[in-house]
Amino acid sequence: MKILVYVLGLYLMQDAWGEEQQVIYQYKKYEKFDLGNLEVKGQLIAPGDISVRERERRRFELDLYSRKDFDSFIKKDVESLR
Amino acid sequence: MKHLLILISLSLSMQAFGQKDKKLSMSEVLENKKYYYSALNEYFMETYDKVLIKDDLKRLEDLLYFTGIELLEDYEPSLLQKYPTSSTRFILGRQALQKKNYKKALELFAMVHPDHRYYPEGKLLEAQVYDQQNNPKKRLESYEACQASATSHENSALSEKIKRYYRMVHEICLVNKARHHFKVEEYKESLEAYTKIPKKSYKWPYLLLEMAWVYYQMGDYNRTLGLLTTYKSPLLDTYFFPEAEYLAALSYFRLCLYEDSMTIVNQFYQVYRPRFQALEGVLRKNRKSNDYFYNLMFKPGDELKKHEKFVRSIIIRMKKQTRFSLDANAIYKINQEMRRINNNEKPVIKNMLLPHLAEVKENMTAKINYNAKTDVFQFLEQVPFLSSELFKLNLEIIARKKDLVYSNKKLIADRSRGDYSNVKRSKFEYFWTFQGAFWADELGDYSLGLKSNCQTVRQITEEKE
Repeated sequence: MKILVYVLGLYLMQDAWGEEQQVIYQYKKYEKFDLGNLEVKGQLIAPGDISVRERERRRFELDLYSRKDFDSFIKKDVESLR
Repeated sequence: MKHLLILISLSLSMQAFGQKDKKLSMSEVLENKKYYYSALNEYFMETYDKVLIKDDLKRLEDLLYFTGIELLEDYEPSLLQKYPTSSTRFILGRQALQKKNYKKALELFAMVHPDHRYYPEGKLLEAQVYDQQNNPKKRLESYEACQASATSHENSALSEKIKRYYRMVHEICLVNKARHHFKVEEYKESLEAYTKIPKKSYKWPYLLLEMAWVYYQMGDYNRTLGLLTTYKSPLLDTYFFPEAEYLAALSYFRLCLYEDSMTIVNQFYQVYRPRFQALEGVLRKNRKSNDYFYNLMFKPGDELKKHEKFVRSIIIRMKKQTRFSLDANAIYKINQEMRRINNNEKPVIKNMLLPHLAEVKENMTAKINYNAKTDVFQFLEQVPFLSSELFKLNLEIIARKKDLVYSNKKLIADRSRGDYSNVKRSKFEYFWTFQGAFWADELGDYSLGLKSNCQTVRQITEEKE
C-alpha cells in the first residue's frame, strides 16, 4: 500500500514537470533595415594614411664590468704594511 | 757521561758569559750585548711560566722595538696572550681579524694604548673590522682616528724612516676614506680625499686608476682617459695595470668611439695576453720553490733586466712596499747578529744561539718568498678576468655597429676631434695643449677633450645609375 502511494506521487510530479517544458519561444525570422534611410549625427571624414610613430627598438647591453668598490685594494694595502 | 760533560761546560760558559753582573738573566745579558733577536727568544723562555710584573712587560716592549713584531707571528697565540702589552694585543688583534673573529679583534685593538707606536695601524685594522661588519659610520670614524694619530706620531718621531712609516699609514687611511666615499657613491668627497695625497707619495701612481674609476662613475670619460694617459709617461713605466687598459677601452666605448676602443682591445689580445701567458708558464714551474721569488727580489738590477718586463715592474713595485722593507731589514739585522756571535762568542754559546737565529732567518725568507709569489700571481690572475671582460666589450661594439648598419644610420663623426669645450674643469684649473712630452708637475692632471660620438644620423645612400 505504502509503495503504491509513492509510485502515484512520483507519477504526478513527472506530469507537473512535463507541463513546464511545453513553453515554446518564437523569434522573428526576418527583419528589414533601410540603411539609406538611417541618419547618423556627426562629421563624415574619409580614412587617411595609417601612421605609426617610429620607436627605437629596445636593445639589451651586455653586463659590462664596472667597479663599484675598492675592497680588494683596501685589503692589499693593509697586507702591504706587514 | 758525555751529555753530563756538555751540560757542565754549558753551565760554566753561561756563567762566564754573564759574569760581570751575576744578577742579570740570560736574556738581559744578551740584550746588553745587543743580541736582540736571541734575547727575545730567551725572554720568552724565562718568562712564559712566571708571574709577570710591570718591568717584564716593559722589557718585552723594549726588545720588540729593536726586533719588530713580525717575529711574533711565529709564536703561539696562547703564549702571546700571557703578555698584556700593546704590541702583543696588536698582533693578536691582527690574527683575530684574519680568522674573522671580529668581536675579539675589536676588543684587542681597543686595548692598544693611544700613545703606542702601533695605535694608528690598529685603527686602520679596526676600520677593516667595521667594514666586514658593514658599519660605515664606525669605519669612517676609525679612519679619521687613524689619520689624526698617524700625524701626531709622525710629528713626534725622531728618525726620518719612522716619520715615513707614519706618513704611509696616514696616506693609507686617507685613501681608504676616499674609497669609502666611492663605495657609497659620494664621488666628489672621494675625489677631494684622493687629491690630498701628494704626487711624490709612493701610493700616488696606484691612485690614478682609482681616480679614473671615480671620474668614470661621474660620467667624465675624458678625465678618465686623461688620468690613464699618465701611465704612458716614462716616469711611470713600471706601473702597468691590465685594469687600466680595460677602463680606457670602456671609456672610449661610452663616448661611442668604437675604433679607439677596438684598438685597445686588439692590443691587449695581440701584445699583452701572449706575454702574460708565457710569463705565467715560467712562474708556475717555480710556484713550489721556497726561495725562487725571494732570490728574484734580491737580484741586482742588471740581472733583473733579463726577465720579462712585467716581472721586473712587479718586483720593483714590491720592493717599495713597507712590508718588504721591514722584512728585508729584519733579515739584515739577523745576519749581522749571527756574524757578531760567530766572531765574538765561544763555541758553546754559538751552538746555543745560532741555530735559533738560522731558523728565524729561514722563516723570514719564506715569508718574503710567499708574499712575492702571492703578489705576482694576484697580478696574473686579473688577466683572464679582464680578458673575458674585454671580449664582452668587443662583442658589444660589434652589436652596436651591426645595429647602425641595420637601421641605416651612422655615428655623427668617424673620429671625434678634441676640443677645449669638451673638457670639464673647475675655476681653478687652466689648460695647456699636450705637446707629446710628459712634465712631472702635470702628471695626473691630464684630460682628453673628446666629444661624445653617440649621436646618430641617417646614412645617405647614393644609388648608382
